[in-house]
Amino acid sequence: MSKGFANHRLTLLSLGVVACFMAVGVRLVYLQVVDRDELLRFVDKARRQIVIEHARRGTILDSRGNLLATSRSEMTVAVDAWALADYLAADKNPARRARKSAEEQTKRVTLAGLLALPVADVEKAFSPAMRPIKLEADQRDGLVDGLTKDRWVKLREGISEATYDRIEELNIRGLTAERVYRRVYPGNELAAHILGFVNKEGSAAAGVESKFDLYLKGEDGWIESEKDGARREMAQFRSREVPEKDGHDVVLTIDSVVQHMIENELKTIGAKYSPKFATIIVSDPMTGRILGMANYPSFNLNEYNKAPLDVQRNRAITDQIEPGSVFKIVAAGAALDQGLVTPLTGFDCSNPLINYKGRDLKLPKEDHEFGRLTVAEIVSHSSNRGAAQLAMLMGEQRFYDYAQKFGFGQRTGFQLGGEERGMLASPKNWDGLTITRMPMGHAVAATPLQMHMAMSAVANGGVLLRPQIIQEIREAGGKVTQTFAPERVGQVLKPSTSALLAQLLHGVVGKDGTGAGFDVPGFEIAAKTGTTQKIINGRYVTTHHVGSFVGFFPASRPEVVLTVIVDDARVPGGSNYGRAVAAPTFHRIAEQLVQYLDIKPVQPAARSLLAMTGGAR
Amino acid sequence: MRPPPANATINRLIALSLLLLVFSGTLGLGAVWVRQEISAIANRSRALEARIAGTERGLDEVNALVAAAVNPDALLRQNEVMRLGLVSPQEAQIRRVDGSPELRLAAKRNREIFNLASAPAGDHAPEFRHVTAALR
Repeated sequence: MSKGFANHRLTLLSLGVVACFMAVGVRLVYLQVVDRDELLRFVDKARRQIVIEHARRGTILDSRGNLLATSRSEMTVAVDAWALADYLAADKNPARRARKSAEEQTKRVTLAGLLALPVADVEKAFSPAMRPIKLEADQRDGLVDGLTKDRWVKLREGISEATYDRIEELNIRGLTAERVYRRVYPGNELAAHILGFVNKEGSAAAGVESKFDLYLKGEDGWIESEKDGARREMAQFRSREVPEKDGHDVVLTIDSVVQHMIENELKTIGAKYSPKFATIIVSDPMTGRILGMANYPSFNLNEYNKAPLDVQRNRAITDQIEPGSVFKIVAAGAALDQGLVTPLTGFDCSNPLINYKGRDLKLPKEDHEFGRLTVAEIVSHSSNRGAAQLAMLMGEQRFYDYAQKFGFGQRTGFQLGGEERGMLASPKNWDGLTITRMPMGHAVAATPLQMHMAMSAVANGGVLLRPQIIQEIREAGGKVTQTFAPERVGQVLKPSTSALLAQLLHGVVGKDGTGAGFDVPGFEIAAKTGTTQKIINGRYVTTHHVGSFVGFFPASRPEVVLTVIVDDARVPGGSNYGRAVAAPTFHRIAEQLVQYLDIKPVQPAARSLLAMTGGAR
Repeated sequence: MRPPPANATINRLIALSLLLLVFSGTLGLGAVWVRQEISAIANRSRALEARIAGTERGLDEVNALVAAAVNPDALLRQNEVMRLGLVSPQEAQIRRVDGSPELRLAAKRNREIFNLASAPAGDHAPEFRHVTAALR
C-alpha cells in the first residue's frame, strides 16, 4: 500500500467524522432552535406537572385540650373504564386476555364488598361509556360527534384510609382515587352553635369555623416537577417546591364537660316543655370567659345538611327578647349606686297610681298584692311597682345611662360576630309610661348574652366585660401565637354597690323570694327570676311567656355566672314563669358545677366528719 | 532538523483521541451515575415524605376516634351499656375535710397495722416503724 493512499484514506475518514459531527450539530440546532418552542410545549404537556399539597385544616380545642373539630382524610374512589379496556385490548393473545379479564372481574367482586356496593353497580361503572361534551371542544378521539370517553365515574366517596389500603392491594386496573380532607366533629352536637361547620365544598359556614377560617385553613403548597409514562412523579426533576403551611389550632374557652352538662339540661327542657327555643350560658364572671353556651333546638354537626337553617342559629346572640324582671337589676343597682336608696329604704307598692313630674301615671300590675316594700324586698319579691319607683327616683336620663352602662342596646363584642344589638330607645323617644314599664324589663329588648353579661357585671364588682370565647391561637407545632386577655368595657357599678346588690339577689332564693327553694346550701345562689309576656300580633298575651333565671354563685365570692332562658314553654296549666321553667334547671346545673369546678362552699354546713377519720367511725 | 515521520504523529493523535474518549466516557458515565443516585435519593425522599404524611393522617384518624370515644356523651353511653352505674356525686354526699385526706388515711391504716386504737388522729401520720414478721 502506498503512503499516498494511506494519507488519502485518513483524510476521508476525518472528513467522514467531521460530516457526522456536522450532521449531529445540524440536528441539534434544528431541535434546540428551530423546533424548540413546539418541542418544549409537547414535553411540558407530556411530562411537567404541578401537584398541589393541601394544607391540613387546624383543629378546634376546648380549654382543657379536648378535640372539638378536626380533619380526617377520606378517599373518593372512581373508575376509568377505558383504561381497563385499553389494557385488555393491548394483549393480542385471546386466551391470555380472557384470563386477565376474569382476574379483573374477580377483583371487582371483592371491591364491591369493600365498598359495600352491589356488584352490578361496580360492573356498570367498569363498562366503557361515552359522555357528551361541547362540539367545539370535541377533538380528543378524532371524531367530532359531541361525545368523548368518560374516564371518571365516581364509585363512592368517604372511604376510610384503612379500607382504601385494602382496595389498593387488589391492584385493580382503571381504579383511581382522590384524597380529600373531611371535617369531623367528634362530639356530634357538642357546641354546635359555637363551632359552626365546614361544608362538603370545604367552605366554612358558621361559628368559629367561619370567623377564624383565616387561621384555621392554612396555606396550600405546590410542587412543580415531571412525571413518567406511568404518571408517577420523577422527584429528581422537581424544579420548584412551596411547602404547605398547616392551619393554626384555635383553643376555645368552653369546657366540654360544662357544655355537655348544659346541653343535657336543654334536652330535658326540650322534652318537658317543647319551647320555641331555650338558651343556657355559663361563664367566669372575673374574666368574661364563656365556659358553655348552648341552645335548644340544636343539631348534629356531622349531619349539618339535615338541620334547618333556623336550628343552626346561635340564638344566644341572634334572638332578642324582653328581659323582664331580670332587668330590675338596672333600677335597683343604679339607685343603690347613686346613693338614692339603701336596702332598707321603703316604697309603697300597693298604690296603682303615682304622681310623676306633675302627672298621674298608672303603675304596672303586680303578680301578688304588696304593701310597703324595702328595696331588698322589691328585688327579692320582684315588685314591678317598686322597680318603677326606683327608676322614677333617678329620672329618665340617669336610668337610661345605667341601662346603657349595663350593656343594653349595644353589641357585647362577642368574638364570633353575628350578634344583635338589642333595643334600648333613648329617653326622647319614650312615651309617658316608659319610665314605669322599662324598669320591669318591658319596652326594651336584649339578647340572652347581653342579659348574661349584665348579671356578670353585678357578680364581678361592677365591671362590664367583653365575653370571651377564644382563649388562644396556636401554630400547628403547638407554639402559642395569640392569646386573648379579658377585656374591660366599662365600670357599671361601684364595687361596694355590686357586692350589696349581690346580697339582695341572694334574697331571691330566700324564704319569701321569687326563687325560693332553688338555693344550693352553702353556695349562696344570687339570681333574678324573669317572666315576660310575649307580644303576639302587636299585643302582650298572657298565655305565652319567656321565662328566665339569671344569676351567679356564691354571692359573696362569685365564681360562675349562669343564665337559663326558656322561650314559650308549653306547661300544662300555663305556669310557664321563670321560676317554674328556668329556675329548676339553674338549680340542677349549679349543683353539678359546684362538683365539677370544685367550688368551695362559703359557709360549710356542719356535717358528720366521717371522712375526716378515713371512715374509722 | 528532520521532521518527525507522518505515521508517528498520526499514532500519537490516535492515542490522544483514545485517551480523550476514555476520559470523556468516564466523565459521561460518572454524570449518569450521579444522576442515577440523585434520582434514587429523590425518590426515596419522596417515599419517606409519603410515609410521614400517611402516618400523620393515621394519627389524625386515631385522634378523631379517641376524641369521639372520650366525649362526655359517649362515656355516658358506655356507662349505661356496661352497667357501671357511675353518677356524679350530689352535694349532700360530699364531706369536705380541711386537712390532707391522704395523711388521715395513712394514720388510720397505721393504727390498724400497729393496733394503736388509742393513737390520736391528726394531720400528721404517726412515725413509721419497721414492720417485722413478728409484728404482722
